[in-house]
Amino acid sequence: MGAVEIRTEHIVKDYPGTRALDDVDVCFDSGRVHAVVGKNGSGKSTLIKILAGAVKPTSGRFFLNDQELSFESTADAYEKGIVTVYQEMSLVPGLSVAENILLGRLPMKYGAIDWRNTYRQAGELLRQMKADIDPHEMTYRLSMWQMQVVEITKALSFNPAVIMLDEPTSALAQHEVENLFDAVRTLRDQGVVVIYITHKLQELPRIADTVTVLRDGKSVGTVEMKTVENKDIIAMMFGKVELKDRPKDIQVSNEVVMQVRGLSRAGWYDDVSFELRRGEVLGIAGMLGSGRTELLRGIFGADPVDRGEVVIEGVTYKNTNPIQMVEARVGLTPENRKTQGLILIHSIRDNLCYASMNITANGWVENKRKRNQFAERQVKELDIRLSSLDASCNSLSGGNQQKVVVGNWLNISPHIMLYDEPSRGIDVNAKQQVFEIMWTEARKGVSSIFVSTELEELLEVCHRILIMRHGRIVQELSPDAVNTNELYELCMRGED
Amino acid sequence: MTTIAASRPAFDQRKLVIFLLDHIIEMCLLALIILLTFTSHGFLTWANWMNIFRSNSLKGVISLGMTLAIIAGLIDLSIGSTVGLTGVIVALVCREMVARGGNVNVACLIGMGICLAMAAGIGWFYGYFQHKMGMPPFIITLAGKFALFGLAGILSGFPIANQFPDWFNQGGMGRVGGSNGIPIPAIVLAVTFVIVLFIANYTKTGRATYAVGGNPESARLSGINVGRTKVLIFIIVQALAVISGFMYSGQVMSGTYSFGAGWELDVIAAVIVGGTSFNGGAGSVWGTLVGIVFMGVIGNGMTLLNFDIYTQNVVRAVILFLAVLLSSYRAKAKA
Repeated sequence: MGAVEIRTEHIVKDYPGTRALDDVDVCFDSGRVHAVVGKNGSGKSTLIKILAGAVKPTSGRFFLNDQELSFESTADAYEKGIVTVYQEMSLVPGLSVAENILLGRLPMKYGAIDWRNTYRQAGELLRQMKADIDPHEMTYRLSMWQMQVVEITKALSFNPAVIMLDEPTSALAQHEVENLFDAVRTLRDQGVVVIYITHKLQELPRIADTVTVLRDGKSVGTVEMKTVENKDIIAMMFGKVELKDRPKDIQVSNEVVMQVRGLSRAGWYDDVSFELRRGEVLGIAGMLGSGRTELLRGIFGADPVDRGEVVIEGVTYKNTNPIQMVEARVGLTPENRKTQGLILIHSIRDNLCYASMNITANGWVENKRKRNQFAERQVKELDIRLSSLDASCNSLSGGNQQKVVVGNWLNISPHIMLYDEPSRGIDVNAKQQVFEIMWTEARKGVSSIFVSTELEELLEVCHRILIMRHGRIVQELSPDAVNTNELYELCMRGED
Repeated sequence: MTTIAASRPAFDQRKLVIFLLDHIIEMCLLALIILLTFTSHGFLTWANWMNIFRSNSLKGVISLGMTLAIIAGLIDLSIGSTVGLTGVIVALVCREMVARGGNVNVACLIGMGICLAMAAGIGWFYGYFQHKMGMPPFIITLAGKFALFGLAGILSGFPIANQFPDWFNQGGMGRVGGSNGIPIPAIVLAVTFVIVLFIANYTKTGRATYAVGGNPESARLSGINVGRTKVLIFIIVQALAVISGFMYSGQVMSGTYSFGAGWELDVIAAVIVGGTSFNGGAGSVWGTLVGIVFMGVIGNGMTLLNFDIYTQNVVRAVILFLAVLLSSYRAKAKA
């Protein structure tokens, strides 16, 4: 295979209300690993989708070896040798490794599957990847990194010119990452253009040859990995961050409303202890996989804990559950609003009143009028934009859906709110409104714990920040003492 | 930029389509009644309609409960066996106690009490193991179907001289208001309808039922007691199957283990024809009532028109297929 080059010229992609990509020029050549980094919403996934034929650019052109490309579907991209390995695995667990690699293209003989040939071909591809995986093995028996390697082997079977890897290490444990990197290097040495999308900067020195940084839909630049350090890349990712001022009038009292004591869950978090005060917004900063989401779920009793206890306003809870937490006036807005926070097919009214069911009802019988009042109150206070309370939550935008999740909990008049990634996938305005809600509640004396991947949000919103790494709280700091870049470095330090 | 107010048409066509789709089963029932009135002599008579209700209320009562189960994402395949077992137990208790010199009325009441307690026990068992262990409701109640059917067979393995008190027989046979009056099973159906409708639409249990079927994880994280809701629903279904079993054994004046065999499928069919989603989270008790009447009317009409039983089954199959097709289409139209 000769030298290959994939290149974009002035790519623009508009979505209703936002410009996801703005005049992006990038160029990736073969035989090297090109990392594409940027925080959430920077446009990196949109760029990949365009190259993969999943979406069409609004304007601009892109080329493979000076041949202009125009894709109607992902199948067109495959035909040109551009394949993508997405972070959601596409393997069928109940099939063998060989079947998965050759799925849809199994060799046939006399009108039946030629099994000997199937395993031979798959075995050859795996050897080419220098992967020590038996093609006869059932896929569900593989570890995560082996599945990821099979995924890449499958991509390789298409004889690609370009392979795009979308966050391939996100589901892997630390010790598995190096195995995957071996596979990526093998791929690179075979003269394939490897485009590697990640948000884990600590991986870059080990795998990337060049780094392209996207920020707010624009390409900030491409640099040779050898010439830069992580802090340079962080500076490129965040630019000059303007932080909005936290309202000064919120009084955090000294009264402790919640104490977490030695909470542990094997494999997720270990011996976590901290205190939360009345009216405080406490941030937990940590990278994906640091255990922050699991910690919140453990506090709320959504998952069992192995050891430790939570004391809420004087009452001690060991291995609690959401039913008890509602009674203790604790609310959790879960990480994934669509699958954990809402019942999408049900009406906005119902979704606003599930947690407060015991408050609105007269004993066993519902009080429809009171339910209506509760729903309408949140619609007004949270400024939820809807056509009717009877409309299903499916019909709402992401930001309004998130407000419904929050409203469901505000209806129990909570004393403590746990927010897990409340700003994920919602627009800037809605984000700001969610923060305003947190502050408004804080003024009323509600305490909050706020978990977010967007570290600058924590700096903007919180009174105090805990740093979580590998399931442990390693540091506590004031948001005034650090900037975004420093916070980022603190969170990923020692993650190798 | 167009403003929202200006771009909204005065007449919302999509809403009309959804309204029509939601009520298509009622319209079909109406059309069917009109059609049968003109094609079949004796269809639109009081006696015939009372006959329809008498013969469809027994399954209908269970369908109303099954509606709650299917809305919650559950199913109970064992209700047919419960119907048979109920008759056997009541007959057995009556015989044994009367043989020992007991009062037949007291014996019958004790037998009925045992059956209702059994319903609570079975419902708790299903709900507990389904929820705690995550066992598929289809399989656990299928096992229950075999177990209860087998138990009924064992208990009736020796001859039973049936000695039900007269009032027990009247529960299945009797009519209110003379020999042309309203059959008691129809009254039981009406009362059950009101109760189940109330539970579904006006109680916390009803709200929780829809929530559990709509998204069990969201329901759990909102502090809804998912396990208790499931147990309660299984108990309701089983209790209604027991009540249906009382009426059935009263109607034929005997308790036989094979009574009710295969009912679960007719019961589920009426719920689905009534528009309840097999995916859970959506459905209505009113729809099920319409579904019961629809299936009853079409069966009655086909009998009046001298369709043989095999043709009748094919027609029922077509109706069931169309009902599911419609609900899939409806789900797409609303999305």
